[in-house]
Amino acid sequence: MTKSISRRQFFRIAGGTAAATGISPKLRRILSEPFVRPPEDVLPGRATWYASTCRQCPAGCGIIVRVINGRAKKIEGNPLHPLNRGKLCARGQAGLQVLYNPDRLRNAVRQTGGRGSRQFEPLYWDAALDLLAEKIRALSNPGRLAVLAGLMPDHLYRLLSLLLESLGAAPPVIFDLHSALEGRAAAARSSEVFFGAAELPVYDVGRSDVVFSFGANFLETWMSPVAQSVAYGNMRQGAFGGRGLLVQFEPRLSATAASADQWIPLRPGTEGFVALALGRIIVEERLGHVGSHRPHAALYQDVDVTEMAAASRVPIESLRRLARLFADAEHPVAIPGGSLAGQQNGAASMLAVHALNHVVAQVGRVGGVFLSSPGPTAMLRQTARVDSFAQVQDLIERMKAGEVDLLLAVGGNPVFELPATAGFAAAIERVPYVVSFGSFVDETAVRADLILPEHTYLESWGYQVPEPGADRPAVSGQQPVVRSLYDTQASADVLLGLASRLGGRPSEALPWPDEISFLEETVRDLHGSSLGAYDADTPAGFFALWRQYGGWWSERELPREPVVAEAVIQPLPIVAPQFVGDERTYPFHLHPYPSVALSDGRGANLPWLQETPDPMTTARWSTWVELNPEVARSLGIGDDDIVRVISPHGELEAPVVVYPGIHPDVVAIPVGQGHTDYGRFARRRGSNPLDLVAPVAAADGGALAWGATRVRLEVTGRRQTLARLESLDGAGRESLG
Amino acid sequence: MRFGRTGIPISGTSRWVPAAGLLVVGAVVAGIFLSRAVALAAPTQPLPYSHEVHAEAGVQCLFCHTGALRSDVAGLPSVQKCIGCHALISTEEESIQVLTGYWERAEPIPWVRVQSQPDFVFFSHQPHLGAGLPCETCHGDVARMTIARPVVRMDMGWCLECHLEQPQEKVARLADCLACHK
Repeated sequence: MTKSISRRQFFRIAGGTAAATGISPKLRRILSEPFVRPPEDVLPGRATWYASTCRQCPAGCGIIVRVINGRAKKIEGNPLHPLNRGKLCARGQAGLQVLYNPDRLRNAVRQTGGRGSRQFEPLYWDAALDLLAEKIRALSNPGRLAVLAGLMPDHLYRLLSLLLESLGAAPPVIFDLHSALEGRAAAARSSEVFFGAAELPVYDVGRSDVVFSFGANFLETWMSPVAQSVAYGNMRQGAFGGRGLLVQFEPRLSATAASADQWIPLRPGTEGFVALALGRIIVEERLGHVGSHRPHAALYQDVDVTEMAAASRVPIESLRRLARLFADAEHPVAIPGGSLAGQQNGAASMLAVHALNHVVAQVGRVGGVFLSSPGPTAMLRQTARVDSFAQVQDLIERMKAGEVDLLLAVGGNPVFELPATAGFAAAIERVPYVVSFGSFVDETAVRADLILPEHTYLESWGYQVPEPGADRPAVSGQQPVVRSLYDTQASADVLLGLASRLGGRPSEALPWPDEISFLEETVRDLHGSSLGAYDADTPAGFFALWRQYGGWWSERELPREPVVAEAVIQPLPIVAPQFVGDERTYPFHLHPYPSVALSDGRGANLPWLQETPDPMTTARWSTWVELNPEVARSLGIGDDDIVRVISPHGELEAPVVVYPGIHPDVVAIPVGQGHTDYGRFARRRGSNPLDLVAPVAAADGGALAWGATRVRLEVTGRRQTLARLESLDGAGRESLG
Repeated sequence: MRFGRTGIPISGTSRWVPAAGLLVVGAVVAGIFLSRAVALAAPTQPLPYSHEVHAEAGVQCLFCHTGALRSDVAGLPSVQKCIGCHALISTEEESIQVLTGYWERAEPIPWVRVQSQPDFVFFSHQPHLGAGLPCETCHGDVARMTIARPVVRMDMGWCLECHLEQPQEKVARLADCLACHK
């Protein structure tokens, strides 16, 4: 039983042990790098909190950032901000990884090896701006300059609009997938038809007792999810009398539907039919307590409840019960959400839902629907408006026809976010010179000749009037919380630098020497307002408080009642949904949905967000296809089996998640993965469902109808285990028994 | 009798185990002493800063380590503070020229930490200075050191030695786990 060790071996082990014990403290060599020039307000070891604005989605929540020794360490919600009231979502928390992302561009670059070569040559900013100014001067006519942008903070939009106007060029075309998925353009449009104001309505969920949400995932990504979650909490806790009730109507059980009291699964595109049927029943049976329904009768004169019930496959008894529930409530509200807007009949469906609020007289009433009051912020309100998909297609056609010589891509990532068959990737090849302003080399930037990386939002100035707004006039202020980490520049400063180089009208239109002086001058308009939560004697004092508060807002609530427009007295339109793909060949509806973590894909380069499990399936780091258990059974497949999803426009492969919370006619795929660029954490991971989506717009010149594509499924016979937080339902519990 | 690989006779466990045990213990003890020596040695710094020279010139600790009175950490002086004096003083010295190099390149000096506490210890200078402790109590006579080196291993036993000697009414609070491990 003895094990022989030679003496030499023994000394080797003993010596090694001694050396390892002795050396270990020496390995702990910690560097301590003090400032070269210390900022005045920094005390080493003590945190400084800066108030700013989140830019992870367009909502414009107030944040406070904990900074120690010049490093941003933690982001929290700003407790004073009237929109999010100290709360913040996961995407907001992950903002630190935007700042510290290892894949950020660190200086201006030119792609020297040709587009897509990824060979970047650094450029001095002066040279880069000279180059861009030269390209603009060389344009034979300003119409050959095009700007394609995502939603951007208001200050940048204002400067960009001023510059383009002074050049005589067309205003920027604005498209981003997040806005398309939440139906921002359609919501503004239906509000214009209904209330005569093209702005996003505010739903007073917090003081409502019955909420009917038609495809609005308002606790996840839709519009202003943090503010709406706070309101939802108030509604549930009965802060305004009794526990509120939530009913969610949508094809797939979202996390919002999972928080609801009832989920009514619908076939895509039939949400409007349900709303019309509910309205008709309320008017017909004189339900509720609003007095006479006579003025509403005209709205529903063409609606047949039996037809609507048949089309939506919701039993008439259920519709009657829901109609009574809604009409009998004290403060009901109906919310038209994003999945309505993704259909070709989106506008009609949204009007039908708005009409429900009108029928129960909840327009401008507590717990109903409001518009946000601008107060003295009106002059700051020059907000970017999402353009119709037709305008995007028009730009693509102009690019294809060689009518665009210079394209500026400011925010957004159209190559990734537009349906592949919309042809943007091919069209961009026809543009002689492309400039990107992104901080990362994404799918669009990789097709650019020049990249002028902007500061991240934690390094730059700005302001934004949140829309949908809060219950009072408010402006969110943005300020740098750290010095810029790299040699990047604020896009606003790039535009100002460009204007001064161009001279003439542009330099007159944009006379400010830098972003801060522009901001200071703009903010001055709010100084002296009697509404403000604070005021100061001097403009400089006001600007100091603006930075401390992280913006400006009214001290008290200031509701604004919408006025229902004349047009609403006419019968509501009844429009059947239309789909691309023949029903026999393509038996399923494709339902792409925004990922709670990655949103439209902009969060895919942040590992914290990749790691965040989807709240319903707990899957992460990948793309999956959600199938109803009946469908999975009929195909003879189960969890983790790879299926091929084929539409008339493309195909992709991904593992299956068998998900009971989905209408059997629907195949759901989360959006956000499938990047071919955009950094090490995003690349080569999952697939992009936009490759399947048909490039069609809603009928009345609306946004991209991303839910109007039919698909079929093919079994591949292969498997791939998905990364999930929880083991598959049941399996874990059985092994515990 | 069996023979090992080197030809030295090995007779099972009987003779080797006590000797081996002794050697292992010896090695570990040697290791501990060695590690102590390394831990208390002055680290190699990017430039040969001498505390002694500065203390002799009458510079107070808090002139450079300004945070100690107000913050958790004492802090290191910024390059700007160094150059505030050394733009004029001893500019011909080689080490000062290294310093000027950092300043001109706007680079922070990568000092190696002399004292540090692990993550699970929440130490703050402020209450210690507030209680009237002089710097030397913990850091030794830095005014007589060239490159600063630790004089004690700042472990928990050493902290408690002092905390337990405090007046009776304070001991309960000072010996509480949560005083340092929050």
